[in-house]
Amino acid sequence: MNLLIQLTDLSINAKELELLQPLSLSLYQDKPLTILGQTGSGKSLLAQAIIGLLPNELSQQGQVEVFGKLHDRGSLVSLWGKEVIMLPQEPWRALDPLMPAYQQVLEVYECLHGLTHEQAFNQAMDDLDKVDLKSSASKRPGQLSGGMAQRLAVTAATAGGAKLILADEPTKGLDVSRRNDIVQLLLQSAQGGGLLTITHDIEVARQIGGDIIVMKEGVVVEQGSAEQVLNQPEHSYTQSLIGADPRHWDQRTKGLIDKKPVLSATSLAIGRNGQALSAGIDFTIHAGEVVGVVGDSGSGKSTLGDTLLNLLPPISGKVNKRVSQAKPYQWLKLFQDPPAAFTSSVSLGVLLEDVINLHQIDRARIAPLMNKLKLAPELLARRSTEVSGGELQRFAILRALLLDPIFLFADEPTSRLDPIIAKEVTDLLVNLAKEKGCALLLVSHDPHMIEKRCDTVVQLK
Amino acid sequence: MIKSLSLNQKLGLTLLLGLFAFAVLVGGFSPYTIDEQNLSIRLITPNSDHWFGTDHFGRDMMTRLASAIVLSFSLGVFCVLTSSILGVTLGVCSAWAGGRVEQSLDVLVNILLALPGLVLVLLLSAIAPGSFVVLYFAISLVQWVEYYRVTRAITRTLMDSPERQVSVMMGFGKWYQFKRHIWPAISSSVFTMAAFGGANAILMMASLGFVAVGIQPPLAELGLMSVELFPFYVEAPWVLMQPLIVVALLVLGFHLLAGASRESLNSTH
Repeated sequence: MNLLIQLTDLSINAKELELLQPLSLSLYQDKPLTILGQTGSGKSLLAQAIIGLLPNELSQQGQVEVFGKLHDRGSLVSLWGKEVIMLPQEPWRALDPLMPAYQQVLEVYECLHGLTHEQAFNQAMDDLDKVDLKSSASKRPGQLSGGMAQRLAVTAATAGGAKLILADEPTKGLDVSRRNDIVQLLLQSAQGGGLLTITHDIEVARQIGGDIIVMKEGVVVEQGSAEQVLNQPEHSYTQSLIGADPRHWDQRTKGLIDKKPVLSATSLAIGRNGQALSAGIDFTIHAGEVVGVVGDSGSGKSTLGDTLLNLLPPISGKVNKRVSQAKPYQWLKLFQDPPAAFTSSVSLGVLLEDVINLHQIDRARIAPLMNKLKLAPELLARRSTEVSGGELQRFAILRALLLDPIFLFADEPTSRLDPIIAKEVTDLLVNLAKEKGCALLLVSHDPHMIEKRCDTVVQLK
Repeated sequence: MIKSLSLNQKLGLTLLLGLFAFAVLVGGFSPYTIDEQNLSIRLITPNSDHWFGTDHFGRDMMTRLASAIVLSFSLGVFCVLTSSILGVTLGVCSAWAGGRVEQSLDVLVNILLALPGLVLVLLLSAIAPGSFVVLYFAISLVQWVEYYRVTRAITRTLMDSPERQVSVMMGFGKWYQFKRHIWPAISSSVFTMAAFGGANAILMMASLGFVAVGIQPPLAELGLMSVELFPFYVEAPWVLMQPLIVVALLVLGFHLLAGASRESLNSTH
């Protein structure tokens, strides 16, 4: 087996602070390596150090050997494109928003391989055909769905013919079928070369196989073959990571607490800007019921919630609110990206005060609820940019619950959180909704989570 | 607020406050008036009676400069206040209302933008030379457009943002949405534009004085003083220098004040 990457005692420091403790690893040809860990565990820094993209403020010690040669930050640049490639986290940020899909691939052939425009075009179309994007070749990234953009990014990145692929969270925010596609695509592209994947998703690690390194706060806690680490985890951290995967969650008992209908949809068709995404939706939500919405990306999961909340007009059909005495502010939504849902201009405490004053909420209710949501009172003095995503999402839940919602639409509330925190937040949300008799519409790209936590499921096609 | 200012901004603020304090103190304590002529002491060098010397009519330069600074300052401040309030209000309303309102305001703004600002001000002030009110009106008319465009662009992206949607769903009113979501996003841009706008208003007023359609004699105005003293630049260069230096200091002060730090620019995503 060919040795592709050899790291010897690589460590990364920000002035005195050690971000990554000395680490050694080897990546062989056709034996993928996966680095597993949560946000802040230093795994992205590791990838940046390997490819030579580490910010200048950070210093690195130790040796980086790629293809048997010792490299430093400067000389790694010469390997980019044809030898080594890094897939970025959010594909739509790496793609040119104004360039049609085919051209993003075409330029690689034209500029890197020096093909003529026509040859490059044919090559690009072939590549796009392989990933089922031929019909969307002339669309711009903004017109593609998240999964399609991800595939386009992989295609453009691997068109250079690099044998060594570094993928940083390649499946973040994708639904299961798309996620599996991307993993397959990665494995396929890396055939005959090397693949180093960084992820927090156990399932991705399982599918890729090979070797696994589990990291926590810059320290390697466990290392070994995928089978061994995933089936007989030794370290407690690895165990809790695996336990946080929705497929290993315990099944909660289904059943309705109440038969009081809150909202019903009859032959509803939903869509944006007059274009229907999904049609023939019929269901009724009862108080205290947790309804899961599943469907592929682009099938209108978020659109359904927005239509039910009256944020978007339905294309056809009807949404009936069955609780006549409810106030408008009792129909609420939890957003996917917590930081985007809060203004950072004032502290969280001020935001909470605003809600309390507006709706004359009893202050005595706050402390117990914060306790239940494991929110420390000190958080209220900070702004939304100074707390973690998990804390912010729990704060969003707190603010919503204070208004006694009768219907809450949670739009992938945990997709941007780490698995252990995601499980915690989901459980809190479901439990509190049950307790308060609030109907909860839960959108998730993970069918296991929906299956384990929801009473009923709405399938969008 | 003061703490968040950069060193340059503090310097600018000190400079402007210093000039203003000078103008107010001199205006209050000076034994002379701006139009008190004494031809026997024309163009004398600074001395203990006339600290800054006298001009070609023997008028005290320090008193005249102080009066000119107050005039420039008040015009600058009035113009900035009017144009920013008008521009921000219309910008926010336009982005909020959308549709026809936005379209018609855009047409109006494009018409105003197509005319060179100084020409428009010249035109209006030539109709009624020497009128402070017309000057103020003309300069504000030119300057509000900038506030409008920036505010509208930022507000428009905020209209669809989750953070505002949450506030709407929770039942907060329009004023709250403006206060919590829109104003924090636009404020730093508005302050920067206001500082530049203040400098521009002062420069425009001086330019108009220089081509003799602005404030009329015997009032003291920086541009007007420069052009009046221009023939004596060989005889008394120190007198001509004074209004020029004051204009430069005023503009420098406003520009230093505008220089927002990189972080505060970045925070307005």
